[in-house]
Amino acid sequence: MENNESKLVTMQKEQGPLLEVKDLAIDFTTDDKRAVHAVRDVSFSVYPGQWVAIVGESGSGKSTSAMSVLGLLPGTGHVVGGSIKLDGQELVGLKQKDFDKLRGTKMGLVPQDPMSNLNPVWRIGTQVKEALVANNMDVAHEKRSKLAKALAGDEVAVKGNDDETFISSTELPALLDATKAAIAEVGITGEAAERSLAYFKEEWVPGSETRWRVADDLIKAGVKDDTAWDIAKKHVTGSTMDDRIAGLLSEAGLPDAATRARQFPHEFSGGMRQRALIAIGLACRPDLLIADEPTSALDVTVQKKILDHLHMLTDSLGTAVLFITHDLGLAAERAQHIVVMYKGQVVESGPSLEVLQHPQHPYTKRLVAAAPSLASQRIISAKEHGESTDALLEHHVVGEQKLEASETIITVDHLTKEFKLPRKKEMFKAVDDISFSVKRGSTLAIVGESGSGKSTVANMVLKLLEPTSGTVTYEGKDISGFKGKELLDFRRHVQPVFQNPYGSLDPMYSIYRSIEEPLRIHGIGDKKSRVKRVRELLDMVELPESVMTRYPNELSGGQRQRIAIARAMALDPDVIVCDEAVSALDVLVQDQVLRLLNDLQVEKGLSYLFITHDLAVVRQIADEVVVMQKGKLVEHATTDEVFDHPRKQYTRDLLDAIPGGKLQLGLD
Amino acid sequence: MTDMTTLPGQERYIAPLDETPLQDVDKLDETAPASSMWADAWRTLRRNPMFIISGLLIIFIIIVALFPSLFTKQNPNYCTLENSLGPASAGHPMGFDFQGCDVYTRVVYGTRTSLSVGLCATILVVLIGTIIGGFAGFFGGWLDSLLSRLTDIFLALPILLGAIVVLQMFKTNSSIWKIVFVMALFGWTSTARIARGAVMEAKNLEFNTASTALGSSPMRNLFRHILPNSLAPIIVVGTTSLATYIVLEATLSFLGVGLPSTTVSWGGDISQAQTSLMTNPMVLFYPSAALAITVLSFIMMGDAVKDALDPKSRSL
Repeated sequence: MENNESKLVTMQKEQGPLLEVKDLAIDFTTDDKRAVHAVRDVSFSVYPGQWVAIVGESGSGKSTSAMSVLGLLPGTGHVVGGSIKLDGQELVGLKQKDFDKLRGTKMGLVPQDPMSNLNPVWRIGTQVKEALVANNMDVAHEKRSKLAKALAGDEVAVKGNDDETFISSTELPALLDATKAAIAEVGITGEAAERSLAYFKEEWVPGSETRWRVADDLIKAGVKDDTAWDIAKKHVTGSTMDDRIAGLLSEAGLPDAATRARQFPHEFSGGMRQRALIAIGLACRPDLLIADEPTSALDVTVQKKILDHLHMLTDSLGTAVLFITHDLGLAAERAQHIVVMYKGQVVESGPSLEVLQHPQHPYTKRLVAAAPSLASQRIISAKEHGESTDALLEHHVVGEQKLEASETIITVDHLTKEFKLPRKKEMFKAVDDISFSVKRGSTLAIVGESGSGKSTVANMVLKLLEPTSGTVTYEGKDISGFKGKELLDFRRHVQPVFQNPYGSLDPMYSIYRSIEEPLRIHGIGDKKSRVKRVRELLDMVELPESVMTRYPNELSGGQRQRIAIARAMALDPDVIVCDEAVSALDVLVQDQVLRLLNDLQVEKGLSYLFITHDLAVVRQIADEVVVMQKGKLVEHATTDEVFDHPRKQYTRDLLDAIPGGKLQLGLD
Repeated sequence: MTDMTTLPGQERYIAPLDETPLQDVDKLDETAPASSMWADAWRTLRRNPMFIISGLLIIFIIIVALFPSLFTKQNPNYCTLENSLGPASAGHPMGFDFQGCDVYTRVVYGTRTSLSVGLCATILVVLIGTIIGGFAGFFGGWLDSLLSRLTDIFLALPILLGAIVVLQMFKTNSSIWKIVFVMALFGWTSTARIARGAVMEAKNLEFNTASTALGSSPMRNLFRHILPNSLAPIIVVGTTSLATYIVLEATLSFLGVGLPSTTVSWGGDISQAQTSLMTNPMVLFYPSAALAITVLSFIMMGDAVKDALDPKSRSL
């Protein structure tokens, strides 16, 4: 392995960079014909078979730079200077027609949003086929990069092009029969033979596994070289289009790919769609794959699975990947080389571990400090070194004994919610017998993947949904009975902050009106005192007074979320329910909002019910954690307990999925 | 080890700090101009030449409708048969019609009828349509089914046919309100459908849940949040359909079931002029031109408003 790696580096050095971007400058033209400099003096290079990550917050120009490589700059954007060289060919100034020839075969794209990047009226298979047909791909043969061939060539002699033919689905049964006979011939019987056959059945995917790999597998199983090659030559002669489509999808990690290929995008989950997009991006075996935040819309566990798979796939194909992300931890874990961008410029670049362990530029330092994944990592290593973790935690941990002693403010008792699914008889249990309690002045986090029912719990606690059975009590009173004045009083004390900062503020309301709304509903104060109160609240969330006359569409996601927090604080509540309140934000902004929430908790003695899919965030905010899976409560313990001694496999999976979790961090 | 694996062009690089000075995290840009949806729409409109042209025309048309006497000193109903089909002359720039009335004066006075019928019908249609569509979309369930079927039934009736039948039934009544009510009766369906869709979309936006959690009642949500957020598409249909009601009034008057012949209207005049189409086509031309310009102005205005309020539909 070590040998292979150094060989790879030598080869990369010999071949030179695959993509070389030098002094790239990109402008956007605004409506009134002004030029906005989106990207300035950006230089980086990507070598064959390498993962390079561009890291930065939204608006840093990372996606714009990547899109210019593909010739897909949106709207009024255009390259105004510098050069982009792919395999020595200059791409700046190329016509769209010439780009058409490069896209697909030379470079591929895995886009950010799996929901909108598949055509909803076409079958998945048709969309993969489109990529193959548009580029005149030979569907019977694998196309492998020089790099992958050279690396694979060490283990097995790939002689001619025919050794790269795929298995077809029609000849697979005959191949398996021949294999069975061959294994029996060399004297492997019984359980060992069964095991080998089962392995082959799984490995030999039509349209994906090639002749020499079959031969190689056979030889490794003990079949003689000549016999193995004879079988492979006779029974592996090339696949059809349908086989290849299924093969590609199965390579991307979709089980039962042949059936899946006939389905439509709406029948797929987000993760499955992203896999289909990866299959499309890699269909024509590009030398360079541009992955634009490919997993930011997905749960962490799904993210980990997909990236692991993509890594394995690109390694075996020798594909270089330009990986765009806003999470430094994720970038460092996946890429060998990191490019940090800020305000359209590269502020720091270098080998990932070095950048991560010894960040030099203040912006990179800020990123390293803010990344939740790294923060939890830092706590772990501090503990290992026997140091105090207090300084590292923004959150003031209440402590187990004190937690026991403090009074309960919200109790959830055997809560169950069933929904009627369309076209199905049985009810769907979104929440199944959940019990926990929130102590005054503490934070309880509910963690789970999408579909685990965690938001449904939040909505029932907020009395926006009625439970099917079970109760929610607030200060000892069952909230299901609240009506009229009592309900209004409850609303006053239990406030929400929702996930989507773009949706939770009425776009027609000015910021002043938005924050003032709760005061108005509850008839608090007169006009003058309300203005004063709104000023105070804005000050509390560290926004200037001038923001009062603005509208939500003028603010960034983080600013809107701070407005939403100010609105929630307007009535001096006891409990705030944060439903994925920071999930849609960049790491830096996320860190800022978490800090604000922590400060408010200390100052006002608030209790939080914090819903998130990201365990890394939990470490920074919660005292207790409830892990949910498919509506059921999996684990309930203090945060330290969950992180240090997870009891259930599912919790361990979630912990493993935290990006950058395995990285060695410098403690400086 | 690191030096061994670092490839040329990938050496460690750190930008000098003065090149990209660090700003506060998520800093608010206080210099940007304030913009609400309406302010944005207004800014887009102001730059649209179509809006300026149609706006000036509409203002002119409104002035003519309000103060016809500013433009002509004559009485539109003063007709002498000796002038029948007389050519243009001093003080009578558009000549005379078959009855010997001054065409220019009749065109000027006809403006008020057309415009008031169009405006009143549109206002009524938008009101009825928004209320029915809004309730259907907001409450859903059986009320939605009921109101939607009602909309479908009315949508199935051809508006022109329906109008002719109803107007025939009440031939004796001769006010413009009759025709306005008939138009509203058959015209509310398209607005109702749009309003229903817009309300259903706005209803599912998160800020409604947020308001409910703040203690707001469903009705308060409907009037304070959902309806204001559904207004844009309703305004767009409103402006475009104004033109169709003006045309419809002219059509009905032309067919003789609209306004009584004693009311000066473009439709009536066009109808009268057809008898002399072969001998004196200009008598037909002037009221038709006035009608066409008015309708065109409102359609252009509708398009401009649509572009401003719904940027997605803008053609590039």
